[in-house]
Amino acid sequence: MTKRILLAFAALACTVALFAQEPTGGVKGTVVNRNGRQPVEKARLVVMQGATQVATASSAQDGTFLIPGLADGIYTLVIEAPEFLESQVQVTVNDGYVKNMFNLSLTASQQVTEVDDDSFSAFDLDDSGYSDNPTILFGSNDVFNSIAGYNFSSVRFRARGYSSESQDVLLAGVKLNDAITGYSPFSLWSGLNEATRAKESVNGAELSDYGFGGYNGLTNIFGTASEMRKGLRGSVLTNSTLYRLRLMASYATGMQDNGWAFAANVSARLGGNDWIRGVYYRSFAYYLAADKVLNDQNKLSFAFFGTPGQRGAQNSSTQEVYDLVGDNMYNSNWGYQNGHVRNARVRKTHEPIAFVKWDFTPSDKFEGSATVLYRFGKNGYTALDWYDAQDPRPDYYRNLPSYYYGTIDGVYVDDLNRNNPDKYQTALNVWKYANMYSNLTHVDWDRLYNVNRMQEYGRSKYVQEERRVDQKDLNLAFTFKARPAQWVTLNGGLNARVNRTEYYKTVADLLGGEYFVDVDNFAERDFAASPYKTQNDLNYYLINRAARELKVGDKYGYDYYAQVRSYEAWLSGRFVSGPFSATLAGRVGYDTFWREGLMRKGLFPGLAPNGTMMVDPLTGETIVPSYEADGSVTTSFGKSKAARFFTYAGKANLNYVIGGNMRVYANVGYFNDAPKFNQVFLSPRTRNSMVSDLTTTKTFSSDINWQFFGSGINVRATAYWTKMWDQSKVMSAYDDLQNAFSNFAISGINERHMGVELGFKMPTYIIPNVSLQGVLSLGEYIYTSTPKMTQTVDNSAEVVMSDVYVPYWTKTMLSDGSVAQKHYVPSTPQTAASLGLAYNYNYWFIDADVEYFDRAYLDMNPLYRTDYAVAGLDNAITDEEVLYMTTQEKFKPAWLVNLSVGKSWYIQRKYQIGFSLNVKNLLNNKEVKTGGYEQTRLVDNTASKNRYYRFDSKYFYMAGTNYMLNVYFRF
Amino acid sequence: MKKYIIAVAALAALVSCRNLKEEWDPVFTLKQPDATWFVPVTEEYLKETEGLETISSIAELKALYKNKPLLIMDNIWIKGKVISSDQSGNIYNEVYIQDGKSEADGDAITIKLGKSSLYNEYEPGRWVYVKCKSLTLGAYNGMLQLGMGQDETASNEYETSYMNMQAVIDAHVFRGFLDEPYKPVTLTESSLKAAVAAGASDHIWGKVVKIKGLTYGDQIFALFYPNPNMAHKSGNPENRVFLSDKGVWGVTTWSCTKASYVAYLNSGAWDTAEVGSGATRYGTILGTPEQYLDAVTAAKFGADAYLSYKGIMIKYASANYISHYFKLGETDVQVRTSGYAKFADLEIDPAIREEKKPVTIEGIITLYNDAAQISLVNDPSQSVVIE
Repeated sequence: MTKRILLAFAALACTVALFAQEPTGGVKGTVVNRNGRQPVEKARLVVMQGATQVATASSAQDGTFLIPGLADGIYTLVIEAPEFLESQVQVTVNDGYVKNMFNLSLTASQQVTEVDDDSFSAFDLDDSGYSDNPTILFGSNDVFNSIAGYNFSSVRFRARGYSSESQDVLLAGVKLNDAITGYSPFSLWSGLNEATRAKESVNGAELSDYGFGGYNGLTNIFGTASEMRKGLRGSVLTNSTLYRLRLMASYATGMQDNGWAFAANVSARLGGNDWIRGVYYRSFAYYLAADKVLNDQNKLSFAFFGTPGQRGAQNSSTQEVYDLVGDNMYNSNWGYQNGHVRNARVRKTHEPIAFVKWDFTPSDKFEGSATVLYRFGKNGYTALDWYDAQDPRPDYYRNLPSYYYGTIDGVYVDDLNRNNPDKYQTALNVWKYANMYSNLTHVDWDRLYNVNRMQEYGRSKYVQEERRVDQKDLNLAFTFKARPAQWVTLNGGLNARVNRTEYYKTVADLLGGEYFVDVDNFAERDFAASPYKTQNDLNYYLINRAARELKVGDKYGYDYYAQVRSYEAWLSGRFVSGPFSATLAGRVGYDTFWREGLMRKGLFPGLAPNGTMMVDPLTGETIVPSYEADGSVTTSFGKSKAARFFTYAGKANLNYVIGGNMRVYANVGYFNDAPKFNQVFLSPRTRNSMVSDLTTTKTFSSDINWQFFGSGINVRATAYWTKMWDQSKVMSAYDDLQNAFSNFAISGINERHMGVELGFKMPTYIIPNVSLQGVLSLGEYIYTSTPKMTQTVDNSAEVVMSDVYVPYWTKTMLSDGSVAQKHYVPSTPQTAASLGLAYNYNYWFIDADVEYFDRAYLDMNPLYRTDYAVAGLDNAITDEEVLYMTTQEKFKPAWLVNLSVGKSWYIQRKYQIGFSLNVKNLLNNKEVKTGGYEQTRLVDNTASKNRYYRFDSKYFYMAGTNYMLNVYFRF
Repeated sequence: MKKYIIAVAALAALVSCRNLKEEWDPVFTLKQPDATWFVPVTEEYLKETEGLETISSIAELKALYKNKPLLIMDNIWIKGKVISSDQSGNIYNEVYIQDGKSEADGDAITIKLGKSSLYNEYEPGRWVYVKCKSLTLGAYNGMLQLGMGQDETASNEYETSYMNMQAVIDAHVFRGFLDEPYKPVTLTESSLKAAVAAGASDHIWGKVVKIKGLTYGDQIFALFYPNPNMAHKSGNPENRVFLSDKGVWGVTTWSCTKASYVAYLNSGAWDTAEVGSGATRYGTILGTPEQYLDAVTAAKFGADAYLSYKGIMIKYASANYISHYFKLGETDVQVRTSGYAKFADLEIDPAIREEKKPVTIEGIITLYNDAAQISLVNDPSQSVVIE
């Protein structure tokens, strides 16, 4: 009996205990970014039952979360994270089990406002010696970049004032910055947004797992099949500034159970736009990729892609032209041909890339990858060429009113020696009524054809040439990551590059003629009596006794290889101790390059293969070479001396995490880099001559950063200080004083860049689902040295100016020593700010931002900053001349307002359809200069014969109100 | 109101259609349409479209010139056949036209178009109609020219200026059909003497002529400006160097490009040339501005004041004109050649220069400082023939 009573009591106790037990059900999973499946840390997860909040949690560093203690039932799980669209899923908890949701993917809130190469108009700067390549900021992990990358792209913002060459861009672990110029290579995958979406970026001198990087960030685009977002996607996009229509489709299987992943992406960008006449796209893109997991340790990836197509280019003009036609987007490149618009400057490219990547993970503590990547194909850019005919460019300075009535700042200046009111009025009428005179204010194609048609035997005087820069670029990259202990991670790699780029031009269109002749018309002007010197291809002439008659597709003018070999090894070690971590890294490298002339130019014949002077085999006449300043023979044919550079660099990073959501970190780096091929050869189209005193460029860079992430607040503040030494560049332009195409080699350019960056996004706390967001980039980018300049001309080996100082490069300094103006690194606003509101709820997003840009400066030419140009013909320097000649133009500040709206709908949790509409420059501000350059020419035909004057500068402007509408679907 | 709205909407649609067509043209067609063909103008066309009434002779036009530039206000038209070519580079920025029914007939005049490579569109033999209204008739060294009004600049020394702009040319100079070019008019010594004696009014000036029996005169004339960027008019003798009166100065080419100018200087052949002009002579080019000039004038040369003139000439070298003297009996004929001519550095045949073989020369004859001067139109291989 007692036993029964005890059992009953025990049963009762158990029952009571059972009733008192907590629910055992729950939900778990991993929050990932749809973009690249990267884990999303600190996402806020809220479990709702009806209107009642049941539980909350945050995702861990690896994106995982667990919300325990849920009773059986149906819940709504809301996932929120800064920079992402809010997401909701239904969760059913049954039988007290923890429901595993596996991957919950979040879509970046500005997913369709991505910035890529297409975000920037292609400006035609050929032959000017200037470059105008903006840096592209990727913002998936950084609040500053995510806002600035999109909002500042319209003014061609360069982060921290750095040139685009300093931004390392990797594909599958291979650095793909152009081997010759260093420019970032985004155009190689324009239109393949899905295939190249998965990427990782670091800022400034931060270290990356994928490469050593420089001081301007590193972006690694994964580019493999398994990294592409799974499923079928399609989009239709129209915009008003570049092309009318973009069609894009992609499909990726994701990694399948059989270890295979396949992916494809195709697109077409077609049509013109509302702002720039003559600019059009006919560009396509394809991408095919496959991954195969061989076993737990090994994976092979293969990809092949290309972007064949053509696009019409925009040209820059002087403000005089823009004002006369009343349109800052005037484009002088196009004209009518039998009533149809035709652009003279068309970029035609198809540069396929193929790579094979091997990922190996022999243990938990070691992983590595090796990539072989090959780039090949063609890169052409058409232009008009002419022989013994009038300059066909409509905005040639002699066609403008200012050539007939000389003013400076609107005031007539007699000394300019230009005063013919009748001609001025005529020119004024032509440009003011540009539509009535479209044959004069645009390229007159019909006239060019008719000139050709009238020539005896059909010899074309005008042709359309295609300047080709065809690369064969083989890259090998090996990277590894090892974790020998919990507290240390090692990254390292080896890179090798073999690049052979052939520069040449072909006849693209004979414009109604039968043939063109391969002679150097500049040489013919100076050396017409010498049949040798006028030859572009002397070897051909010596055999055939006449210059080559050219048909469409024939090479002519110049032909040479730029040979580049580059090797580097790098190693970094990351050491972690509690909240503190430090990284040290080093890199060593060796760069060598040389020119290999394939055409013997008559002006610079060099020597015969046996080292003696060349002799005409028919006449026995000696063909006398020209000589360099050091007495060596100047030659256009064969291999030049090789430029060789040993390079090295070091970086250090300190990082301290405070309380789990605050981080303070600092980076410091020193870089000793080789100059680029295009900074070394004086006139590669004509000869092997190199800049004297070649040296590496040196950079010291440092930054300190504070970052906070939590409670819906995301902030990053950075201060940076960077100094660069011994930079060099070569610019080319027609010099009226020499009556010849000139090359200006500038060396010893030092710069200092310092400033602060702030990016933030935070809830307004007043209006639900509305965040306040903003960025500020406040910098000072200045020149700190007096560089030297050497001037040569294409028509002779003569050195016009040798190592003359450019004393007004850093500042406009008057005779009493006072500084009238400090000069700045150009082509980007040194003050850039954005402030806006972002609404994000239930798959809607609305962003409205106001931007302010100031302290942007025009690119300077060194010639105007020499004593030679300032002093003028009388060799006397006055303050007035100094101010006039050396002052750097500062662009007016600009306010812009942008608005973005988007919405997506999930259908049966399987399909997604959505749109985004971005309207930029709502204030329709058409006065915003985004770039330009000073022409490297001097007006010397003055009345007083005392001084020189400047040629007008050329500018690019931003379009007025413009839109981009994207409609997409995903399965 | 509704009508207007519809009209505006229709217009907008039309404009956008045109623009859409424009932007899609290169996308779909790839090939360019055949360019429109040039159609020569006719007098009937000009009467209908440009107000042509009657065509005056070039002689009638020339007769209007009264020793000062004349802005033509009347509806005067002339026509002529192009007789010059700038292909060889010896004639520059202008075309010569001649009217009449044959080469012996009519008059010639210079049209100052102010463009290069004119031979591409104004070939010898092409008829050209010139609407003279609002153009200016002027003279330069006795030769009549038709161009735009004078440039109103302090340094201007010409009665007319180049038309320069295509819009002006298009409004005044109309290209007719292509005809057989005129043959050169043969000049004898007597007819040449008579023309020189008659001065600018003679009908021969500006025509293409052929003169037989010319022999090399062993004399050249050249004027160089040591620093061509500085003032160098007659009031600035410190920046002028003449080669004259002393034979040929070692010059064996028709003229000198920049390269051969430097080569001649470096050869020492011009070392005895004097700086200065007229009665003002400073000394040979081996001296320096600092040696020859007062401090103020020397300072104009800046740092170059301490260079020899020869050094300055090399520093600022450029292509230059050279005139070679030929003899036709007792009459001098200068053959003047630009340093920018493609044949500038061509050696004068030693048979002409040394053996003094008689030659026949073809070119445009002009009056220059009361003497006859020929500008070769074509390369000497065609225009200078040893008899």
